[in-house]
Amino acid sequence: MARDVTTDPATLEEAPPPEATDDATAMAARLAEAGRAKRLNERTRMILAYVVLTLFVVIAIGPAFYLISPAFRDSVSLFTYPPEWIPSEPTLDNYRFLFSSTSYVRWAINTLIFAGSTTLLTLATNTMAGYAFARLRFPGRNLLFFVILATLMVPVAAVLAPTYLTVNTIGDWPIIGNWIDIDTYLGLILPSAVSPLGVFMMRQFIETLPDGLYEAARLDGAGEWRIFTKIVLPLIKPALVVLGIFVFMLTWASYLWPLVAATDNEFRVLTVGIASLKGQFVTDWGILAAASLLTIVPVTIVFLFFQKWFVQASMAGALKQ
Amino acid sequence: MTAVDAPAPEAVPDDWRAPTLSDAEYRWRARRYRFRTVRRAAGFLSPYLIVWGVFLAIPAVWGIFLSFNQGGLIKGDPRVFVGFDNWTRTVSDSELRTAVKNTSIYVLIAIAVVFTLAIFLASLLNHYKKGSNFYKVALYFPLLAPPILGALMWFFMVNFDFGILNLIKRTVIGGDGIRFLGDNPHALLTIVAVEVWRGLGFWVLFYLAGLQSVPEELQAAAKVDGAGKWRRFRRITVPTLRPLLLFALVIAVIFNFQLFDSVQVLTDGGPRLGTATVVWFIHKRLFKFQDTGLAYASSIGLLVVVLVLTALSFWLLGKRRQREA
Repeated sequence: MARDVTTDPATLEEAPPPEATDDATAMAARLAEAGRAKRLNERTRMILAYVVLTLFVVIAIGPAFYLISPAFRDSVSLFTYPPEWIPSEPTLDNYRFLFSSTSYVRWAINTLIFAGSTTLLTLATNTMAGYAFARLRFPGRNLLFFVILATLMVPVAAVLAPTYLTVNTIGDWPIIGNWIDIDTYLGLILPSAVSPLGVFMMRQFIETLPDGLYEAARLDGAGEWRIFTKIVLPLIKPALVVLGIFVFMLTWASYLWPLVAATDNEFRVLTVGIASLKGQFVTDWGILAAASLLTIVPVTIVFLFFQKWFVQASMAGALKQ
Repeated sequence: MTAVDAPAPEAVPDDWRAPTLSDAEYRWRARRYRFRTVRRAAGFLSPYLIVWGVFLAIPAVWGIFLSFNQGGLIKGDPRVFVGFDNWTRTVSDSELRTAVKNTSIYVLIAIAVVFTLAIFLASLLNHYKKGSNFYKVALYFPLLAPPILGALMWFFMVNFDFGILNLIKRTVIGGDGIRFLGDNPHALLTIVAVEVWRGLGFWVLFYLAGLQSVPEELQAAAKVDGAGKWRRFRRITVPTLRPLLLFALVIAVIFNFQLFDSVQVLTDGGPRLGTATVVWFIHKRLFKFQDTGLAYASSIGLLVVVLVLTALSFWLLGKRRQREA
């Protein structure tokens, strides 16, 4: 480029004394070229970055799309080679089978009962406990909080046997045993509602509320329960939503505890039910795909509507500790 | 507070006198006050404490006692106290040893891969902001499905006959397909891939939040001083992320060490224990009702490992807070 400038007749003709300007023009040209190269370089970089990002997006959501074709055809046609992407004879047989010959609907209802009750129970107990730790003074407060917090990370698997035995033992007791036992809703729900994460989150959140609120309410003669329901609860609604989504997502996706605590088909939940569709030796691929797809689609729709809340909820689990 | 404790002089009525209480009266009132605070707190705490106590705290303590026992899960198999027998056998049991080895390999590879990819993608998203919201949401998608369903999706992807990975392999490279779940070490690596796929979105968001907390003035100042991209990454980004990275590492180890769902549904520990993990081992021993004692003991082993790691993560978090303050 620099050479072009000096040999260009137009530049030469009007060239002021060469010694001084030659260097300057050459330098300017070199700079311009470097700038252009840099811009080009940055552009390729940007394109490359977006290609990489898009590739990862395809990997992230691709597997879900790979279920669509098998869900709408009979399993035998899956094994033809070369593969037939769009089924020549699309069919709803898989769904018909799912609704008539398996307990899919029962599982879905159980999942809603299981995850819904666990969420409500967790919200109620954790908010009350969080309030007590944030606002009330009582002897042994810090020690109790520390002991509870110490159980934050206890894995389900590590207490699987004793929890199972506890529920089983309570099941042998009169009256209460009719409600809490292996293969009952409460036996499934109560051990799923123990995590202290919500207690901790709620305590942190309630502590940030200004003291003046309580003092004003107390001067007006409001009792502790009244302050809690009329003043604190309305103010922590966002935290309740975040915790609620977090607990619901965690609960309906859980597998290990429902696997051992609800073996009876009447109490089985979706995760365990769908996993049971995958046979040990023979798998009906079409039905497996149909069930998986049917389960993911509604969650995805809800997610797309409330994505901000979801992302916040998932971060809450990791960062608010 | 002083305004309330000491009322202004003109407000004091003439017949005011300091309240005098006899010792007994004072003690009684103090006790009544303490009782009231405890009762009030108990009202708020008891719903949680009952559920937590019965279904978490007591079982956790009971588990320690159970680890010295054998059987007791079903009617025909009464519980017997066996002393330290379970514990001595945990050290020598070859199946458990395989499970611990597999889990460790899995944790190492999965965390290395997922953290590298996540930091890479997060720095891309941090730099190229256009459309980053779409990418964030799309990358988050795998977390929506329960682990079981995520694993089942990949069950289709890696199928020997019609899985897309094998279709690509056959057309591009030729030859026969790969038995992703039927051979070792493929099976464990497939599990790693499935879990990396699931967790990636979360860690991208996690590190993106961390990257966005790096002050921009710092970057700009370094740029003016002539620091290159790599140098800025090494000297500014990494040091700011380091406490976050350590904390994330501990948390990731805790969660990944409990790998179970995808193993149970994809390989059930096979082939030839190639994907047997610690939690899979515990579940298998407990609910196939064979040698439950070993499962009781290894449960407590798992509990101890996780509690130690949790303490470590709190300590790291505390250190970060201190530095920030």
